Amino acid sequence: MNKHKSIDEILKKVNDVKILHKRERRIRVDVAADSLTTVLELLKGQASFVHLSAISCVDWIDDGEFELVYHVWSYEENCLVSVHTRIDREKAKFVSVYDLYKPADFFERDIYEMYGVFFIGSPRMEKFILTEWHGIPPMLKDFDSESYVQNTFNWTEYNPDWLQELEQQGGGIAIKPEEIRLSGELHNMSTHRERDKKKKQDNVKGWKS
Amino acid sequence: MKKELKIKEKSTERTNPLARVFDDFISFCQSKSLFMLHYCTGCGAIELPPAMTSRFDMERLGIQPMVTPRQADILLITGYVSVKTLKRVILTYEQMQSPKYVIGICSCTVNGGMYWQSYATAKKLNEYLPVDVYIAGCMPRPEAVIEGLQRLKNNIKNDRKEQKGSAWKDYFRRYDYYLGNQQHLFGDDWQTPTDIIAEAKLYGLETEETYGKHTDQLLKIQKPLLPQEMKVRMKP
Repeated sequence: MNKHKSIDEILKKVNDVKILHKRERRIRVDVAADSLTTVLELLKGQASFVHLSAISCVDWIDDGEFELVYHVWSYEENCLVSVHTRIDREKAKFVSVYDLYKPADFFERDIYEMYGVFFIGSPRMEKFILTEWHGIPPMLKDFDSESYVQNTFNWTEYNPDWLQELEQQGGGIAIKPEEIRLSGELHNMSTHRERDKKKKQDNVKGWKS
Repeated sequence: MKKELKIKEKSTERTNPLARVFDDFISFCQSKSLFMLHYCTGCGAIELPPAMTSRFDMERLGIQPMVTPRQADILLITGYVSVKTLKRVILTYEQMQSPKYVIGICSCTVNGGMYWQSYATAKKLNEYLPVDVYIAGCMPRPEAVIEGLQRLKNNIKNDRKEQKGSAWKDYFRRYDYYLGNQQHLFGDDWQTPTDIIAEAKLYGLETEETYGKHTDQLLKIQKPLLPQEMKVRMKP
């Protein structure tokens, strides 16, 4: 613990910083969006956190916010600091850290594609992997992958002879794929666990019962 | 789902009594020597090395891996096909010379497999390409792969009697259907470098279903492909 005291001292200068020592080599820092670049600059310049491992994004749809997490690593301290910040979901704009960390280009482009967060100052804000995709960013919680799939694709019917024979003898598949795929009220349930529960209650036929 | 086709194809009936013997002989020879291009998109590819090498030995069936689509007979697609990959698969398929065969390995090519919820993967491969044989399983063992290849061989050999080994002709006969599904995914400006309609005319496989509203759309946007300019940069 004493090893990382320096980080606390360095970040004292910034307003509204919460530092949490989760484990020996994992530190979580929460900052307001305005002072994020300051924190990263201090970490890089004064505490040897030179390696940006990843930038990740979380969609908090109920709070109306995106959470951006910058994971920075120090080879001297052998310690990972994850800097959390929250930005407005409607605006979905943030400042790029490309001038601090060059790999940020790659991560920011990825987040722009998957979540639609635009990074001002990032060199290449364009299509990256999903070059064939024209809908809304697919990682958003708004985007319903199941219903998109249901509206876009057809399915192969699966009804072989051996299955028909089994069904005549009273056996068969317990939960058919068509039932799992979006069947009315089941789809409205939020989690798979609830669905499974409902299935178990309703399931009369099948080899399990 | 398959409608009966009103084919105005060139009649394939032979008047020479010996012609059938030759046809059979040719298809027998074709079934004994197949070059396979494996487009390894997913995890199913891991079952191919044992199927090819000494343990199960694909080559005793006369099947050999080939490196380029233009010299290959079989296009083997192992695993999920994402929308992005599907474009490349179609380009590869259209480059191959007839007769050509497609094998879909793993449940992903049949129905999306475990990626059925994903927005990025195409679900039924035979909507976009005519598939000869599906080998289901997640993943199928090399025995199953060999079994599927054996079935394809038999289909090719008995093609005149059973009409199972010529799915590639379906691509020309019902090009509008396949093109429609491709346009549904890739947008209306989808165009491949190969002129399938001209090839259908060449093979004499034009039917009424070769044309339709989707091919009309294609002809509307189709740009002729020009050779790329050759530029040589000379150092002064």
